[in-house]
Amino acid sequence: MQEVRFVRLVVALIVSCPVVAAAQATGTIRGRITDVSTGAPVSSAQVRVEGTALGAQTAPDGSYTITGVPSGSQSVSTRHVGYAPQTITVTVAPSSTLTQDFALRSAAVTLSEVVVTGVAAPTTKRQLGNTIETVPGEQVAEAPGVTAIDQALQGRITGAVISENSGQPGGGVSIRLRGTNSILGGAEPLYVIDGVIVDNSAEALVSLSGNATRGNQALSNRMADFDPSDVERIEVLKGAAAAALYGARANNGVIQIFTKRGQSGRPNLSASSQVTWNSTPKRYDLNMSPNAGYTDVIYGGAPAIGAPIQRYDIQDQIFRTGVGNDTHFSVSGGNGGTSYYMGAGYQGEDGILRTTKYNRKDFRVNLSQSLSDQFEVGLRANYINSLADFIPEGEQTQGVLTSVIFTPTSVNPAFNPNLGRYPYNPVLGANPLDVMANWSAPERVTRLLGGLEATWRPVSSITLRYLSGVDDYRREDTYLQPPFSTSANFTGSIQNPVQFSRLFNNDITLTHAVTPNPNLGFNTSFGFRYTRDHTETVRAAGADLGPGQTLVGGATQTATQSEEELRTVGWYVEERASVGDRLFLTGGLNWDESSAFGPSQRRQLFPRAGLSYVLDREPWWRGTLSNVFSSFRLRAAVGETGGQPPGLYSRFANYVNTSFSGKPGLVSSITAGNPNLKPERQREYEGGFDAGFFHDRAQVEFSLYNKKTTDLVLSIPLPPSSGFQQQFQNIGSLTNKGVELALNTVNVTRPNFSWRTRLTYSANRNRITNLVTSSDTLLFDYLNAVIVGQPIGVFYGGVYARNPDGSIAYAPVTVSGQSLLLPVRGKDTLASGAIVNAQRIIGDPNPKFVASFGNDFDLGQRVHLSVLLDGRFGNDVANFSRRIEELFGVSKVVEREISGDTVARTFSLNPAGRSLIYEEYIEDGTFVKLREIALDLTLDPAWLGRFGAHEAKLRVAGRNLKTWTDYSGLDPEVNMFSASTVSRGVDFATTPLPRQFSIGLSFKF
Amino acid sequence: MPYTFWMTSRARKAVPIFAAFAVLATACNLDLTNPNAPTEEEVVSDLNGLLAVAVGMQGQFAQAIDDYMVTNSLVTDEWGTETKALISYQSLLTGENFDPSYLVVSAPWSASYSVIKSANTVLAGADNVGLGAGLRAGTVALAKLFKAMAFGMLIQQYDQVPIDVTTEGSLPQPRAVVMDTILDLLESARADIANVSDADLAGFKSRVAGTGFDLRNTIDAMLARYYLMAGRYADAFAAADRVSLTTLSVLSYPAPTRNPIENLAFQLGYVAGLKSFADQAEAGDRRPSYWLNTAIPGPAGNPDSVLLFLKKYSTPQESFPLYLPDEMKLIKAEALVRSNSPTTEALALVNEVRTQTSSPVDEPVAGLPPVVLATQAELLAEIAKQRRYELYEQGLRWEDTRRFGTALTTTPTQPFLPIPQQECNTNPANPCG
Repeated sequence: MQEVRFVRLVVALIVSCPVVAAAQATGTIRGRITDVSTGAPVSSAQVRVEGTALGAQTAPDGSYTITGVPSGSQSVSTRHVGYAPQTITVTVAPSSTLTQDFALRSAAVTLSEVVVTGVAAPTTKRQLGNTIETVPGEQVAEAPGVTAIDQALQGRITGAVISENSGQPGGGVSIRLRGTNSILGGAEPLYVIDGVIVDNSAEALVSLSGNATRGNQALSNRMADFDPSDVERIEVLKGAAAAALYGARANNGVIQIFTKRGQSGRPNLSASSQVTWNSTPKRYDLNMSPNAGYTDVIYGGAPAIGAPIQRYDIQDQIFRTGVGNDTHFSVSGGNGGTSYYMGAGYQGEDGILRTTKYNRKDFRVNLSQSLSDQFEVGLRANYINSLADFIPEGEQTQGVLTSVIFTPTSVNPAFNPNLGRYPYNPVLGANPLDVMANWSAPERVTRLLGGLEATWRPVSSITLRYLSGVDDYRREDTYLQPPFSTSANFTGSIQNPVQFSRLFNNDITLTHAVTPNPNLGFNTSFGFRYTRDHTETVRAAGADLGPGQTLVGGATQTATQSEEELRTVGWYVEERASVGDRLFLTGGLNWDESSAFGPSQRRQLFPRAGLSYVLDREPWWRGTLSNVFSSFRLRAAVGETGGQPPGLYSRFANYVNTSFSGKPGLVSSITAGNPNLKPERQREYEGGFDAGFFHDRAQVEFSLYNKKTTDLVLSIPLPPSSGFQQQFQNIGSLTNKGVELALNTVNVTRPNFSWRTRLTYSANRNRITNLVTSSDTLLFDYLNAVIVGQPIGVFYGGVYARNPDGSIAYAPVTVSGQSLLLPVRGKDTLASGAIVNAQRIIGDPNPKFVASFGNDFDLGQRVHLSVLLDGRFGNDVANFSRRIEELFGVSKVVEREISGDTVARTFSLNPAGRSLIYEEYIEDGTFVKLREIALDLTLDPAWLGRFGAHEAKLRVAGRNLKTWTDYSGLDPEVNMFSASTVSRGVDFATTPLPRQFSIGLSFKF
Repeated sequence: MPYTFWMTSRARKAVPIFAAFAVLATACNLDLTNPNAPTEEEVVSDLNGLLAVAVGMQGQFAQAIDDYMVTNSLVTDEWGTETKALISYQSLLTGENFDPSYLVVSAPWSASYSVIKSANTVLAGADNVGLGAGLRAGTVALAKLFKAMAFGMLIQQYDQVPIDVTTEGSLPQPRAVVMDTILDLLESARADIANVSDADLAGFKSRVAGTGFDLRNTIDAMLARYYLMAGRYADAFAAADRVSLTTLSVLSYPAPTRNPIENLAFQLGYVAGLKSFADQAEAGDRRPSYWLNTAIPGPAGNPDSVLLFLKKYSTPQESFPLYLPDEMKLIKAEALVRSNSPTTEALALVNEVRTQTSSPVDEPVAGLPPVVLATQAELLAEIAKQRRYELYEQGLRWEDTRRFGTALTTTPTQPFLPIPQQECNTNPANPCG
């Protein structure tokens, strides 16, 4: 019994408390699960022995094996998304193997899906009072053109607004679950992979889009590092009621990702590879008039307005069709208590902007070993190495697309051999062709994600689980601006910040399940979680560079270092009760402590409760009601969560370095420390129902929620006679109210044709309910404002002067002796009589609703077609690109000015301040995208057998192939301020999302 | 068989395992320090930290002299605004459209209270960090001096200011009360170092004091300045008499720091001297060309004032004198005149200032002939004029307009600055009524 000795050793090592495991009479169940209509194997289906924690998942060939099943009569059930669950009672004989196959029938109802929700014992959706969205791994892995896990969620979950912020390869994704829940804090959800909390930072180490002085958001976010091919399942916990287990880190919801595990049986090999072509969906429509306009004279060297000139559209030299390759191999299997999954992936992609590219190499090993009937250990490791080559965009004066919209087309940027360089840009910082040829902005990430897990199940009703996880990465950004690239005086600069980040978490959970009688069940969990996030940033930089220099050096060198650490400790207890398999109650408490809270506020309590009532199990439901509703349940939940205060050290009165008379000194920060700082706190009420119709061929999931987030941290002005100017205090509040609706239907299910659809609709209303004073207008970045009574981030800015009838007022503006009749800026008269430029709320970047429509067709047994439409409705976008195109005479509309079709300088450097009348540039950003379309052809298995493969698919797919929108810019989805909490919906020379087309092959052996 | 589980030996052993983890877990320390910056608790309990605050306090004052000078020099007849200047600067110059929410209104206020807060931190911690007697005496006297100078700057700009520095904010006190505080602080600072030898102050000088700073003379000079403002003429005379006239005491600005007046006038290009300063000088007076560049035309003004570039403070590393030797002579003269002493001695002091042609230190010299004046009024007018040319952009002109009144040819555009809007909004003592 070497095994037992090992268990003893391990346990003794941990607690010096040896345990003897006893033997028990057990048998094995194995079998295969297939689709009843197509006969195809169903992989990743859950098979469980009811009343125990035993279970397995089907392998790609549909097979499963469960060992250690106590002998006697057992209920074996199987569940998989999109199929009706089945339960079969079998009799297991000691030390023998029983074969039990299942043939599953399609169903729209998903209530029986197993979810983990962060507790030790999995449960089914039907038992929970809150909604948890589940996305199966194949949808993530096979989503066309998808390179990141968060990207694959687009159009798949309700209650979420998911945006890709920039179309550069490796560009970031922003997710808002049920609205924005903070003002100064982050708004992105917490990501957890296999129980390990992972970093999703989007901090800009070098400014490539927005300037560092504004939100400091990077083009990328760190979820980009993980390979979607390894994902088995994603669970999205949207609100406080669901996410309360993560306590003071869960205000923005939690996205839990589970990676693939091996199943008992022979090794399953899979290989897939696809080639992707990326192209821009649209280009800027430029002024190509043969005659010079006003800005051509100012910047382009044209002799006079109207003079014939040559124009240059350099977009051909900027945009290209980028080719990418995505290849993934995996092997999984298991025997003798060992199960394993090994995956390796390569992803390489050339962006639609020349010189931008991204590549990622990763491998993953998930191992698990049973040491005895009671003890199981597991190890997961994921190594990632990636390189993204970005180019500046947005408000960066060196931005390539920025240059396009700022530079009149009469300027020829081509390399000038006589000057020996690219000519300097007469308007902006840099020549875009020079930036693409000679500048570089790579981002390199090396990351290791690991988890160690041990489960001890002394008896089938109790589980003790220990998990230790670490997410460790190094991120190196470089930004090289070569000497003399922007002017003869510019001596070059290089920045090379390196960030080291380590997140560690340690979870212990004890679960006890009891069933005192068949109608009553209890499940009790106690848990403890410790997290430690440590980030260190070293910023090295050099100036006065030598030619060809690519590393930090040169005559002037600087380096700075900063460090941040957050530690949290959480205790939780949860009780779940089921009555008669129809009424389910959940109650839980979470005590969280955090190093960022003031000492007096250290311990925070977050309670939650949920109720699920499955009406279709009631005897009175049978008959008339059940003829209409094949299933029906009501649910309600309430819960509280917290958010860490922005600024981990805001509770301290900090001193900063200064220098006086050559001596080092310290002065107090003008921001007073707040020893009473506590988390931002959210309370959510949620309710809804799930109803199945027509024998579960149609299902409606409907939810309403009402969230109030209070104690939002804001900067409060202090009396300056205190020696301070401000202090962070918990003072603001906001609400998010919304509705979520999903309709899943199985429209046709025939042996040679089936059609399933999923329609989702979500609407969220955000409202700021309290700021420091009710008249506060907190302006973020350009136009996004936080105003009491308004949704977060409304656009606030200059408006047109209007006539009493509401039409735009024109006024004569005299320019160089010429009187031009132009629209003018609106003014306000203050109480004091002073006349100021009027500012108004001019738009709202928050969508009125989002919706998606997914269709899956099976044509015969070998052809599958899926189509996903994804739309956002009623949101405004601030088109700063158009503002600049018009101002600098770059836009097509300026041709009208040159031809005399409109008043001179209606657009070009408009002297009436048109560029400050922001109202003009707020556009309806409503769009519908053909997000995904994929055609899969399964090759003839008989033919494949000759190569030893049992499945092979040819796939032709597309992503973002078509966008329907009235928005005049390149893409209404992007945002210059990336993951910013408040600044949303700003398009300023931001790379549009590529239109992607791909062809791929996949094999399973 | 539900609850019998607890009876099994295995189950009983599960409990201590869980408990052991729990004990391990509670050992996690959440009281982290900030690795990026020391906190107030760390600073006040550490010798090096506290001395660094004393250094920082001088830096806060040194970096605020432009805030003091902008208001003082623009509301009086010293400076004008260039075309680039902020609207608030022009508002100070013209007295029109003035608004208490302007940064120029809050800047001297905020800067002074930052200095006072630092001084309070130093004074509170001085006895707890093991400073030697000489180092302690020098550091404490320095903190009292800078606190007094910050209050002194405040009462020259605002007619009432809070004395207690608290996060909640306290009620502003009238000038006379603040003046008593200033004089108490200065006398106390003087007493702190009265019996300390220069040798014992060596540590203080090398670790805390700025280059070119003279603690004893500065304390006496400030005593002279504020006794005069308080109307205590004998004390003012005595203090001024103790100040050495052959040394300077300055705030120095070695790189990477920068003289804030140079920054304001040249780097930012907001302000320049009013040409009237040179035009209204007595023929042959050498001082206008010490302060201003009279050789070349000045920058364009807005509103259309006629300007000259500054000459003093035209380079980034130029130091700023905390007082000038001739201020002491003029204080003595004024104290004599105002205390109705015979005018002979006062006239002699005024003529010393008028006729000076050279100096061992960097100070303006007039090179004018002596005058003969008989009446008190004539003498006061002459003292006021000499103060204008001796003490240009020293932050004293505004207060002079209050003390000399009609003896001057100028009226300030604002009597005082209003209490800053942020203080009105946030101080629960309701300082703005």
